[in-house]
Amino acid sequence: MTPEKITQLQPRSDRALWISHSLALAMRRSFDVIFCGHLNTAPLACAIAHAQRKPLWLQVHGIEAWDETRITHRRSVAASHLITSVSRYTRKRLLGWSTIHPERVHVLPNAIPESVSSLRIPSTRLRQGANNDKKAILTVGRLNTAERYKGHDRIIAAMPKVLSKVPGTTYRIIGEGDDRARLMTLAQNIGVHESIEFVGHVPQHELQNHYARAHVFAMPSTGEGFGIVFLEAAAAGLPVIGGNLDGSVDALAEGRIGRLINPNNQGDLVAALVDALTDMQPKPSPDLNRFAFANFARHVDGLLLKFSTNTAR
Amino acid sequence: MCGINGIFAYHYAANPIDRNELEQTRDYMAARGPDGAGVWIADDGRVGFGHRRLSIIDLSGAAGQPMMSEDGSLVVTFNGEIYNYRELRNQLEARGRIFRTQSDTEILLQLYAEKGADMLGDLKGMFAFVIWDAKRKKLFLARDPYGIKPLYYANDGWTIRFASQVKALLAGGGVSREPEPAGWAGYYLLGSVPEPFTTYLQIRSLPAGHSMIVTELGPTVPKKYFSVAQTYAETESRLAKPSLIPTSKTTNESLGDALRQSVRRHLVADVPVGAFLSAGIDSTALVGLMREAGQADIQTVTLSFGEFVGGVDDEAPIANAVARHYQTHHTTRVVCEKEFRHDLPLIMDAMDQPTIDGLNTWFVSKAAREIGLKVAISGLGGDELFGGYPSFTSLPRWVNWLKAPASVPFLGKATRRALSSMDLPKFGINSKFSAAIEFGGSYAGAYLLRRGLFMPWELGQVMSHDMARDGLSRLAPLELIDAELHPRPRSSFAKVAALESSLYMRNQLLRDTDWASMAHGLEVRVPLVDSQLLADIAPWTVLGSAKPGKALLANCLKHPLPKAVTSRAKTGFKTPISRWLQNGVGRLRPYSDVPQLAAPHCAWSRRWAYSVASV
Repeated sequence: MTPEKITQLQPRSDRALWISHSLALAMRRSFDVIFCGHLNTAPLACAIAHAQRKPLWLQVHGIEAWDETRITHRRSVAASHLITSVSRYTRKRLLGWSTIHPERVHVLPNAIPESVSSLRIPSTRLRQGANNDKKAILTVGRLNTAERYKGHDRIIAAMPKVLSKVPGTTYRIIGEGDDRARLMTLAQNIGVHESIEFVGHVPQHELQNHYARAHVFAMPSTGEGFGIVFLEAAAAGLPVIGGNLDGSVDALAEGRIGRLINPNNQGDLVAALVDALTDMQPKPSPDLNRFAFANFARHVDGLLLKFSTNTAR
Repeated sequence: MCGINGIFAYHYAANPIDRNELEQTRDYMAARGPDGAGVWIADDGRVGFGHRRLSIIDLSGAAGQPMMSEDGSLVVTFNGEIYNYRELRNQLEARGRIFRTQSDTEILLQLYAEKGADMLGDLKGMFAFVIWDAKRKKLFLARDPYGIKPLYYANDGWTIRFASQVKALLAGGGVSREPEPAGWAGYYLLGSVPEPFTTYLQIRSLPAGHSMIVTELGPTVPKKYFSVAQTYAETESRLAKPSLIPTSKTTNESLGDALRQSVRRHLVADVPVGAFLSAGIDSTALVGLMREAGQADIQTVTLSFGEFVGGVDDEAPIANAVARHYQTHHTTRVVCEKEFRHDLPLIMDAMDQPTIDGLNTWFVSKAAREIGLKVAISGLGGDELFGGYPSFTSLPRWVNWLKAPASVPFLGKATRRALSSMDLPKFGINSKFSAAIEFGGSYAGAYLLRRGLFMPWELGQVMSHDMARDGLSRLAPLELIDAELHPRPRSSFAKVAALESSLYMRNQLLRDTDWASMAHGLEVRVPLVDSQLLADIAPWTVLGSAKPGKALLANCLKHPLPKAVTSRAKTGFKTPISRWLQNGVGRLRPYSDVPQLAAPHCAWSRRWAYSVASV
């Protein structure tokens, strides 16, 4: 459902049509601020902002903003009055190639709904349906060749050592994509295929069941802009393991929400998984509340107010 | 003069600040403030300040820092001196404000409470300070007009950290060490890292004459409240009215008054104020002005080098004569190669950012501290104020000659490419010559030619090609230099003075003076680097009615300098350090790694720059 005061226009499947439609709209109507939600569309937003002589607010997320790609992107970034980045890591990478003043680039992390962030782990949480004798590692994420950085293969490679310490452990993978076959082959080759469960796609409303049946959530990624899925897992009461080389550091609040490891160090990964699997009592995470939607909304209000005051023409 | 630092976890997602980190950063700066240490952390754990103290004014414990206002709503950590603090105090007291200490630090709290950011216009001095405004939940950072006192900050998007030294920020452990290509490119181009860059991507310098506010939303873009170019441009506009043109009759008298006032301001202290003395006009005239400003007892110190004793380059005999002339308590400190080699690792450790200079200041500061001084006056800034550098004549000439050929499309680049392929240095011609047309037609380009250590196309000799390309693109050297000419003064004198003051003096001389003196716990004061003095003197220097040059300074004295000083040709401060460096650089990276640096015609400063960069 579209929120109040927001008009959502019909999507256009054709890129040229979409661009011409956007430009036509910009010629017909005047706006106070141009907000652009992705770096790839920033050149168009920049052109509209320039034509309307209005300030441009650009949001950047993950790997698309980590390395300089096109000159049009560089110019759009330099022309932005405000950039919000989903994490400090993405901000740092963006500042590494762009010449925008660093004080124009703010961090606006992903948020979780109030109902989730205030979720308390029931003390009697018995991992409904989970057999406590058979431990489960869970990863939720797309299995795309373009997103191999997520680290499913790192966990598969670590499974023999995990199984030697915690026999009977299952690695449950939720998500679908064109990299699935490679991962299955990898598991076969290593000889752990029987301990790995490829669940496929799971609708959002069913995810809670899977979180409840798992004992640890792990995603030793090297390419997360932020990693909202860590927060969802933590909110469900799962111990969380993430990488320390990308935006995961923010999602895990520098280790206060979950354990940060070097994803490229298998020893670290195994140790973290075994520790989580052998610790019967999941730890509640009061630090999760920082990412509550109310904080996000207040920050956006503040940025918009400051932004519109500073750029008033 | 002290070391300051702090952390503000401004973002809602940030973890509370870490007391250990705060103290580690603070205590890295122990040499800057050997007389005391303080720390303050807000009750909510989101903001904290550290301070290392070198007590100069109000030596009591009551003046310790971080200092809190009586109602607890403001907290300040401050490095520097507010020379007009007594006048400001009188004004504030007249308006009903009650003071608890005799320190200049409290002035900052009281003035901020009254005027907020507008307070900066009232301050005369050298300063870097940060105020926490608890009611508005904001941090206010400010740096003096010329940037005499340093202030660095690292904003990671959640938390901002600041400190008087780059290395102190790193010592805390919370700041990334990722290199900033622009900082490195700037260092090799100019011999010092041009602000706002440092050699680290995350750490920036709050520019001189700027302030910055940090709220829960993060830092704002630093705001300029002073620039040398602006002072000159405003002076020129004012002088456009003939009635305001000063007459030559009043030159010496007016300049003398302005200089004496500045020197008098810089003598405010509760400890003795001494002076560095060389054979040059700047330092000798300052000692004379100190005497005229009423200082009865003056301790002076001169640096002499073992190799020079008895030769023409030895400044000690003239300095001795000046000391006798003004009846100072004089010390000549002789430095030899053995001591230099012993101190080299300490120098490298104290050097906050790479620089090709600062060694003389290290030794003269060491000598001043040895004789018990905590504060010393330096003649730094005289060349920029009175037009003492050759650049004041060469830059306007180059621009005039080269403006026309430089405007021909592609001619500059083509000439440079053709000439640089000929390996000019082999024929005794400076490689910069090849870029005369490309750069010499504008003040920014001519300045780069004049002050350049390496030229942009030579950076690949000392950095990876990728880093050199990224560095040049991020630094945009010509734009960076040209920015110091906004608003653009009309006269050539003002243009060169603005460039020399805002680039070479700020990034090289003042920064080197800070680290090299503070390593010994010595405060160096620079009466010729003063925004009020600049405003007072600019009418004479930009007008051309009085010929710019050091004679202006020498002629202002009521009790003239000895002839030996005024008749001495300008030589600059010569040292045998280049020779010592050629005898080896200890554990530093040897320049012989790079073929171009190993070539016999290569300037020692290039070799030294390369070796320093390895630290």
